[in-house]
Amino acid sequence: MTTENHESVGTAPRAQGSGGGPLPALGRAFRGLANFVNSSLFRYVVRRILWGVVLLVIVSALTFIIFYLFPSADPARLRAGRNPNPAAVAAIRHSLNLDKPVYLQYWLYMKNLVLHFDLGFSYYNQQAVRTQIFQRLPVTAELALGAFVLWMLIGIPIGIISAIRPRSVLDRMTMSGSLVAISAPVYWLGLVALFLFAKDIGIIHLLPGSGSYVAITKDPGAWFGSMILPWFVLAASFAAFYARMVRAQVRETMSEDFIRTARAKGLSERRVIFRHGLRAALTPVVTMAGLDLSGLLGGAILTETVFNIPGVGRYAYDAIVNADFPPIQGTVLFSAFFIITANIIVDVIYAFLDPRVRY
Amino acid sequence: MHTTPRQGSTMHQQSKTRLPAPRRRIITLLLVVATAVTFVAVAGLLAGCGSSKKNTTTTTGAAGAVTPAPPLNTHGKKGGSMTILLSGDVDSMDPGYAYYALDYEIVYATQRPLYGYKADSNTVVPDLASAMPIVSKDGKTVTVHIRSGVHYSPPVNREVTSADVKYAIERGFAGNVANGYATSYFSVLQGAPKALAATPAKVSIPGIETPDKTTLVFHLTQPSGAFIGALVMPLTAPVPEEYAKQFDAAASSTYGQHVVATGPYMVANDASGNIKVGWNPGTFIHLVRNPNWKASTDFRPAYLDTINYKEGVSDPTVMTRQILAGSADANGDAPPSPPELRSILSNPTQKKQLFFIPVSGSRYVALNTSKAPFNNVNVRRAVAYVLDRRAMRLTRGGPVDGVIATHFIDPSFAGLGFEAGGGYSNPFATPNDAGSVPKAQAELKKAGFADGMFKGPTVTMVSDNTPPGSNTAKVVAADLAKIGFKVKNISVLHQTMYSKFCSVPKNAPNICPNVGWLQDFKDVQTIMDVPFNGKSIAPANSSNWPQLNDPTINAAMEAAAKLTNAKARYDAWGKIDKEVTLTAAAVPWVWENFPTLFSSKVVPQLQTWNEGAPDVNWISVK
Amino acid sequence: MPSSTHASATSDSVQVSSLLEIHDLHVSFRTRDGDVHAVEGAELSVDRGSTLGIVGESGSGKSVTALTVMGLTRFPNATISGEIIFEGTDLVKLPNNQMQSVRGKRIAMIFQDPLSSLHPLFKIGWQIVEAIQAHEDVSKATARKRAIEALREVGIPSPEKRIDSYPHELSGGMRQRAMIAMALVLKPDVLIADEPTTALDVTVQAQILDLIRRLKDEYQTAIVMITHDLGVIAELADEVAVMYAGRVMERTSRERLFTVPELPYTWGLMRSIPRLDAPRPGRLDSIAGLPPSLIHLPSGCPFHPRCPYVMDVCLKVEPKLEQSEPGHLVACHLQVEERRRLGRELVSQHGSRSDER
Repeated sequence: MTTENHESVGTAPRAQGSGGGPLPALGRAFRGLANFVNSSLFRYVVRRILWGVVLLVIVSALTFIIFYLFPSADPARLRAGRNPNPAAVAAIRHSLNLDKPVYLQYWLYMKNLVLHFDLGFSYYNQQAVRTQIFQRLPVTAELALGAFVLWMLIGIPIGIISAIRPRSVLDRMTMSGSLVAISAPVYWLGLVALFLFAKDIGIIHLLPGSGSYVAITKDPGAWFGSMILPWFVLAASFAAFYARMVRAQVRETMSEDFIRTARAKGLSERRVIFRHGLRAALTPVVTMAGLDLSGLLGGAILTETVFNIPGVGRYAYDAIVNADFPPIQGTVLFSAFFIITANIIVDVIYAFLDPRVRY
Repeated sequence: MHTTPRQGSTMHQQSKTRLPAPRRRIITLLLVVATAVTFVAVAGLLAGCGSSKKNTTTTTGAAGAVTPAPPLNTHGKKGGSMTILLSGDVDSMDPGYAYYALDYEIVYATQRPLYGYKADSNTVVPDLASAMPIVSKDGKTVTVHIRSGVHYSPPVNREVTSADVKYAIERGFAGNVANGYATSYFSVLQGAPKALAATPAKVSIPGIETPDKTTLVFHLTQPSGAFIGALVMPLTAPVPEEYAKQFDAAASSTYGQHVVATGPYMVANDASGNIKVGWNPGTFIHLVRNPNWKASTDFRPAYLDTINYKEGVSDPTVMTRQILAGSADANGDAPPSPPELRSILSNPTQKKQLFFIPVSGSRYVALNTSKAPFNNVNVRRAVAYVLDRRAMRLTRGGPVDGVIATHFIDPSFAGLGFEAGGGYSNPFATPNDAGSVPKAQAELKKAGFADGMFKGPTVTMVSDNTPPGSNTAKVVAADLAKIGFKVKNISVLHQTMYSKFCSVPKNAPNICPNVGWLQDFKDVQTIMDVPFNGKSIAPANSSNWPQLNDPTINAAMEAAAKLTNAKARYDAWGKIDKEVTLTAAAVPWVWENFPTLFSSKVVPQLQTWNEGAPDVNWISVK
Repeated sequence: MPSSTHASATSDSVQVSSLLEIHDLHVSFRTRDGDVHAVEGAELSVDRGSTLGIVGESGSGKSVTALTVMGLTRFPNATISGEIIFEGTDLVKLPNNQMQSVRGKRIAMIFQDPLSSLHPLFKIGWQIVEAIQAHEDVSKATARKRAIEALREVGIPSPEKRIDSYPHELSGGMRQRAMIAMALVLKPDVLIADEPTTALDVTVQAQILDLIRRLKDEYQTAIVMITHDLGVIAELADEVAVMYAGRVMERTSRERLFTVPELPYTWGLMRSIPRLDAPRPGRLDSIAGLPPSLIHLPSGCPFHPRCPYVMDVCLKVEPKLEQSEPGHLVACHLQVEERRRLGRELVSQHGSRSDER
């Protein structure tokens, strides 16, 4: 991204036609579309998407290579079982296409992926990877989105308040509390939450605990109950991190020259903070939030593991434990896809939020 | 967590699970051998075998916790359901592929192999078969009659015939089904392949005849107790060809996702037979009653209506507490954590719900005999004396982990006659198993170190980089330092320890403190032969970590393998156990148990032949 | 000599009641390292239609003085005493909410760097409209019209289009014009300009100074021009105050300052003015040494460590701001004759800056 300084006096104005004659709405809409297609933003997005595709290809190739360099992960031998004779291993190898050169295997994989959106089958239990991921994505999305809403609702207000009242009791309390939340490992936090609040094993029999996940379509009430602890546990460190980040951002912004200008204009302090301060301070938070959310969509491995939520993260975890390549590749590609997509979306949103950013 | 799934019978470094290969092998072989022993007894080929039962009720004193299996639940309450917690998943529901302890938990509730077990013992009983097999005089023809009135679950529904068993065994040899033990035990069938066939080929075995719908005649190329024993394996469970062949045509058979049941339970399925409604991999397995199962044809009571396996339970503490709190009823594949076990054992009520079943095998410290200083037997014996086995076991949780091992054939074989051959020796006894510096120094003096302190160069050690293995290694290094050893330790992943160092003689260090071997078979041969026979030394994937290559021991093993008389066999292997122990090439320190915990809401029943996994055929709600 | 066409204000502003008067102003901030005494007893005043120039290095207290007038130094860690009398009201004692209606409406301020001082994410017009609506109950449309007029007045071409530009879309000069438009749109009585041209290039600087001068004449606005550049003072100021270490050390009319400067510090500032007629390679003379720490001030005269004419008394006694002759106040221990001789000498050697631009 670039920040351009346009020389103003002599140069042609950027926008044109604002004073132009009346146009039919359709024509205007069409022209708007044409403008967009011709706009640098559109070209930028197209470029980014193409680059994203390239990136996915690179990611998949890297995963492939890493897996084949990984010493103990010969799927044919894994499937062949005890004391396999070479013929058996060879037969399995052949049936899984593993006797072909790596580049050919990769080619076959990519061909199936592109033509049929086929991510292959687990070596471990023969399940279709695509089916599994699609089945688990909504679960991970529920977890990630709920936690996202929670941490934004908690983190941002706390960050703002402690920025406005630095060194106040609230500031000191929340900031030291946030340090704890940031440094607490999610897994540990999950266990503590379970031992404190889980209906079955908690000190206070309060909320459904580990393994209580129910599909939202089956029983929305039970679903909501089962998600409360995971949401809070997943959101905790994010909320803490965001509180600190927002605090730092707001404090930095509030010492900017334009805040002084706003005050010098005789604006109320409330307006200075909420209109001028937050508008500038929270813009970068959008980027972070988008990327963090997309990262979680690829699977919140630890939270899903400790609460036994059947999401993509657990799927990836199991696949890694079993050295099961196709699910590993599938989940890696999906995470990469989410992160790349989120990057593009966040950049586009940023261009609207910050007029200085142009592509 | 298992770090080397399906990779040899090596001991796993972290907590035990029922998933990985070592266990699978144990079970298989346990099944085969226990079965063989029983069959042999029944067939009258062997006389004077005293008592092969009760091998799980070993008294171990204060050293370790082994609990007797509960009595058979003959008058349980009908109905209800239970929840079993799993950290992993079955890898297949296909009886032709199933090869894990966890697979067996499910398969022995949903399938009817020719023979099976009751919950309280390792005694074989006819399952699909109507009686024990009839073996011809020359031992080369085995005839089995199957019951009539056994039906498949929907959507197949029809009655089981002997041809279904023939198809089941034949398909096991196909590469796309890839049975793990067919070539080991069923290749003695006339015309059976010696290796898995290329995919997807129809394998036909002329040695299996089906003269009528209820008779199977097996023609063998030579007498084989192993074959008779293996009739208890899931491979002999019937598979309906007309239904299964569409799935067996795939490059990798998908029958496991459409499997039909003959046992009292089935995995919930849809109209087409797809079991995805009852099995969501990594999430749950849902067993319901097989509507076509008739209690009159079966020895299993099958009290429960449904069994829910909840998968993905990764934290052993959460798992344990959920069972104690009654939100689940048993651990299916992973043990409670040692602190939880100790807490349960100190609670008289909870203690009754916990059962320890031996897994048969030992963890040991391998000393590399191929190079100095451990090419000297006295230096090795000094190590055997100085190691504090009690402290080593503490690194894995203390007595709850198992019994301190002083040799290799474990106490679950007690009473079979190894004592006569010299087994159960403890040549390097020290007070409280805590090691003895004076005894170690005496050995070092014999090795030429006048003051009893080792003076040679620094010795190398490759150990795990995570607990508990890393802690065990620390104890070993500290003990060795007491007699003058300087130890240079390299910490790596457990898997790397094997694959890059200890299993590669070229790279092997002086000491591998984190190795171990579980039996392949409920047979002593598999405990001793693979890890200590000179034949097992290979350039890579070697399973003989001490690189012990003693011609006398090798010859003794070859001879013992050929013995068929049980008493002679036990004698011979007992001697070998003693001889290997005396070499001190490997210093055993623990025989592990597997703990299974039940909630107070169910009547505990265990598959004693399957490491004490919960036996849902016999469990009932209280 | 001065290019200003406007006659200088009275040279005796201390006695006559002015529009804005500052008496004995002290501003200090508590910090972790100690109290920062940013302003110590400042005495200043400015009248309608005249310009007070405040000159000094950074850290001399000139900006803090200006911000204190605006009520923008009322931080929890600040201590403010003295008087700032604006039309008979003491702004130091004025409550925040009343101060808010003075800020921007009666006393406006423009800043050094217009890029950082304008909100980067709002359009110029929006920011001006906001300023209008903060003080006057007018419709958005009206406010927008006035904003366009204000932009036109400060010389921004096609203001009806520029009003929808973002600050980064304007050149530096245009931005500062927009800043000035925003400050003047409410026709304040006092405009405080804090280094308004420092961030601009020379030709644009001249344009901006011309603009300020024109607006001052047109609206009779009192201007407080804060700068470290005596060149700007020469261009614009009627009265000049030289500040050092939070203190006013010399105060006089521009003419007097550029003919008989009496303070060694002022001489230093004069020497550091770049001379267009001087040989090119000549490095700028700057005052040796660093401005003093406002936490640990030197004893006696705060300038003594850097003063080439330092005497024993300078180390012990702080000089008071005293009348050297009517309309010329100086705080220095040097003998008056000596000071004047040295001042004249410097001016004759160095030349007056006032008409070189």
